[in-house]
Amino acid sequence: MKSLGILSFLFKKEHQVEVLINEYLKTFTVTQEKFLEAFQACLKSPRGETIDFLISQTHKFESKADDIREEIKSLMYSKALIPDSRGDIMGLLESIDQIPHFFEHVLYMIQTQELHIPNFLIPDVKELIRISIECCELNVKQVTALMQQKDGIRALMKTIDTNESHCDHFERTMITKLFDSDLDPFLKLQLKELIVEIGNISDQADRVSRRINIISMKRRL
Amino acid sequence: MFHLLGGIFLGWSLGANDAANVFGTAVTSRMVRFWTAAALGALFVVAGAVISGQAGIRTLAGLTHMRLDQAVTASLAAALTVTLMTLLSQPVSTSQAVVGAIIGIGLLNGQLNLTGLGKVVTCWVGTPLGAAAITLVLYRSLGYLLNRSRLNMFQSDALIRACMLVAGSYGAYALGANNVANVTAVFVAAGMITVFSATLIGGISIALGIVTFSRPVMETVGKKLVTLDPFSSLMVVLALGITVHIYTLVGVPVSTSQAVIGGVLGIGLVKGVNTVNRRTLKNILLAWVMTPLIACFFSMAINFVSHLQYVPPI
Repeated sequence: MKSLGILSFLFKKEHQVEVLINEYLKTFTVTQEKFLEAFQACLKSPRGETIDFLISQTHKFESKADDIREEIKSLMYSKALIPDSRGDIMGLLESIDQIPHFFEHVLYMIQTQELHIPNFLIPDVKELIRISIECCELNVKQVTALMQQKDGIRALMKTIDTNESHCDHFERTMITKLFDSDLDPFLKLQLKELIVEIGNISDQADRVSRRINIISMKRRL
Repeated sequence: MFHLLGGIFLGWSLGANDAANVFGTAVTSRMVRFWTAAALGALFVVAGAVISGQAGIRTLAGLTHMRLDQAVTASLAAALTVTLMTLLSQPVSTSQAVVGAIIGIGLLNGQLNLTGLGKVVTCWVGTPLGAAAITLVLYRSLGYLLNRSRLNMFQSDALIRACMLVAGSYGAYALGANNVANVTAVFVAAGMITVFSATLIGGISIALGIVTFSRPVMETVGKKLVTLDPFSSLMVVLALGITVHIYTLVGVPVSTSQAVIGGVLGIGLVKGVNTVNRRTLKNILLAWVMTPLIACFFSMAINFVSHLQYVPPI
């Protein structure tokens, strides 16, 4: 807001929203990191104090992101920004907010069901998680580009789309491997559910990315 | 002063109705608070009327000469026409009603300035067309500049909000300057008040309408236009201000409602979509013809009735 001089004084609320969205994105990034740490610990063992702590950390940052989102919501509906932008930003944040929920679901599934991921699936699961987290990082870049009204949103969307297709491919390969194995059928169903839940992360990142692209197109005059 | 009440009432209803064209979108979409809009609207309407309202008053006052009772009749006929057209849900122009009423009186007096009338009618046709053309040019040029600017999302939103206030205030200024003639020109023609008094009384009565009764109309009109994105709405309001201001300089009172419809049509041309449907266009054309005709009829009828005398049987 520096370049607008007096306007930055008149439109303090817009500046506050901008600061809060940046804070939300930082919290979202920390949630990703905590999820990654917790997930890697879960791969070694689904139970233990370390796991509980890391999962609670993921939950803590997910809750913090929720609180920031609520703060942005009340600030915006107290007449900050123009109405079109209010709706767009709220819809976008709600859509992004689904991703940390998927992080939590994945961790809770492993923790509560004490799921041991078999060795033959671990490399694929790690790759699936890596690509999914990359999609989330690209989402953050997209939101930043949207706020700065910079180019490159469409290119980022294409990369996320390609990543999401890779994730779908991994998901199918892993489920096939799983049902070809000699594991207990009940465990197979549990693991299949876990793989699908991990796959949801990149699916949601793709939805977020498309939404950002539409908002960006709407803002072009 | 009692005779002025009709004009003040017309000014009040004009303010209550036409403020919606200027600030309706901004208020309905919650970009601007109602009281901010009402205060700015009232202030700039009075400023516009006093600073730039003389030309329109001279044009309307020059259409014909009338007596004081005829001025009151013209004012009443215009108010009745506006009320009738509003009840019929037709887009109504106070300017057309007032001019129609003056023509009625002029016909009865056998004295009508046809050159002045021709100028007025030409400007009526030019209002929506001019507003559409101005909107088109503004949208293309300012849109290009905004796209090329280095402003971020929040800065550009802040700028649009600020511009909305400025454009609304300018629109209110143009409204006061242009439409004050509708309210008090007939009294100047009757030699009852001076041009300056006419601008002041007219401006204050329009401002009174904005402050006391424009909210419900703003909400109704704003919702019809709110489907436009904020930048398009801003362009329509800005084009309205410019169009009406141009006609103020020419000295012809025109309709802000028709300027808004022209602006929305201009947005449709830029975006390649139908923003105004055929039915709306048909209604506008019908109102163009009907409003002055009805007002003319009313003023002649009221004048006729007011001169009837009871003749006792012999």
